[in-house]
Amino acid sequence: MLLALASGYDRSAATWAARHGAALLTPADLSVAGWRYHAGISGPDTAVAGGEVIAVERIEGVLTRLPYVSPVELGHIVETDQEYVAAEMTAFLLAWLTRLPCPVINRPTSSWLCGPAWPPERWVWTAARLGLHVRPVHRQARLDGPPAEEEIGNHTLVTVVDDRWFGSVPESLGRQARRLAVAAGTSLLAVQFDGAEPDAAVLGADPWPDIAPAEIADAVAAYLMHGSLC
Amino acid sequence: MLILLWGVASEAPLAAVREALERQGAPVAMLDQREMLDTTIDIRVGAGEVGGAIRVRDQRIDLAAVTGVYVRPYSAAELPSVTAAGPASAAWRHVLAVEAILYSWLELTPALVVSRPEAMGTNNSKPYQLELIREAGFCIPETLVTTEPEAARDFWDRHGDVIYKSVSGVRSIVSRMRPEHAARLANVSWCPTQFQRYIAGREHRVHVVGDEVFACEVHSEADDYRYPGEQPVEIRACTLPREVEDRCRRLATALGLPVAGIDLRRHHDGAWYCFEVNPCPAFIYYEHAADLPISTAIARLLAGGAEASAPTPS
Repeated sequence: MLLALASGYDRSAATWAARHGAALLTPADLSVAGWRYHAGISGPDTAVAGGEVIAVERIEGVLTRLPYVSPVELGHIVETDQEYVAAEMTAFLLAWLTRLPCPVINRPTSSWLCGPAWPPERWVWTAARLGLHVRPVHRQARLDGPPAEEEIGNHTLVTVVDDRWFGSVPESLGRQARRLAVAAGTSLLAVQFDGAEPDAAVLGADPWPDIAPAEIADAVAAYLMHGSLC
Repeated sequence: MLILLWGVASEAPLAAVREALERQGAPVAMLDQREMLDTTIDIRVGAGEVGGAIRVRDQRIDLAAVTGVYVRPYSAAELPSVTAAGPASAAWRHVLAVEAILYSWLELTPALVVSRPEAMGTNNSKPYQLELIREAGFCIPETLVTTEPEAARDFWDRHGDVIYKSVSGVRSIVSRMRPEHAARLANVSWCPTQFQRYIAGREHRVHVVGDEVFACEVHSEADDYRYPGEQPVEIRACTLPREVEDRCRRLATALGLPVAGIDLRRHHDGAWYCFEVNPCPAFIYYEHAADLPISTAIARLLAGGAEASAPTPS
């Protein structure tokens, strides 16, 4: 069985789940009796998705589309506790997603449940260390100055799903995007280039790309069902 | 060589490290959070380049010249000048922007950073960190995180003596389960709640600073000696078995922390349990109580200069 972890307001995740027969796991499911997570002791681990209790061993793959649990999603919790409960749920999901033995796309990092929450300069820095062509990033913060961040502006997108990539670019750019995804430890990544030419420069990347295009949605599901696509 | 200190200048650990650096004659630049509204920052990152500068009124700090950083900031939103201005203000946005750029630079600079933000993040989830602790070779207490009241009750029945504590780093106080808590077990269905077998034994606090290890024993009957109530607490310096010291060093290294505060307990059967690693320990309490030169060691580590500590793409 596949799961999609997402906000209760995320229509694209709900659409993906419906298309691929996956159960939708939203923050509301973390307020349902049935979760069991053991550490330092063996025991039957269970989860809750769509209000149903599931043995963790039945889960074949998880798509993560929730960077953290927001207090906004916890209307069923008394208002003064919403922020605390949101932090507790986020912390729990970090541990749970990290230890799942099945494919998880993307695995969480200590700061974000969907993968690395890197700013553009970290992507550019990583790409440069891989020897890829990059456009330098300049960020500044002045109380009386212009916006703190340069806009990426027009760009060409390459979306990586494990071993595959999608985008109207030469093979060499697709391979570069994949190298960046591997370096970042992500299976799902949209890489922004400043053009579609072979010498295009990396501008940044996003581990939370649009999964609405059918070919990307299907590739994500195939990866979760079968592991590596190649 | 230049050591950058970031936080509130009067905060005890930061002030102690600054004093120790000045005693050692190391050049120090203080970035005081109380001056954030007078602070500007810019960074530039490209092929082979991580540069930029911080300006606070007339002072300019060249980020490329920084060889060591000690990081102890409060949340920007807690600063009085920012709180007073409110979330819709330009001041609020500015302080958050400065903070975001600084955090980003801390991940990329080749300087020695105590500690990089991503490494400090492991403490945001105790069960997540517990797995890393186990992988480093320490015993960990039997743990259940659950929304199932019956599962919590079964765990309590099986282990007899059980504590509960937060899953995240928020409101992190350890409490023993007592009979009067039974009626509240139904509440766990609202939020995953963490229970652990109580491990009887002598509590130890260990500070790892680079290769140096400073250990002390904690003598207290409180459930959580950091919040002892009326219970007395005594802290005494001690020496750990060599193998346990090495395990502490390995754990700090595995978590990417040049400085770490490690909570251990030696069980009556001799096993060493580890409960948590504080990535940004407020060590002053232990330094004073057990006469341990922790701030001097941190200063020495920082003055030791840059190392190849920047994250490397795999």
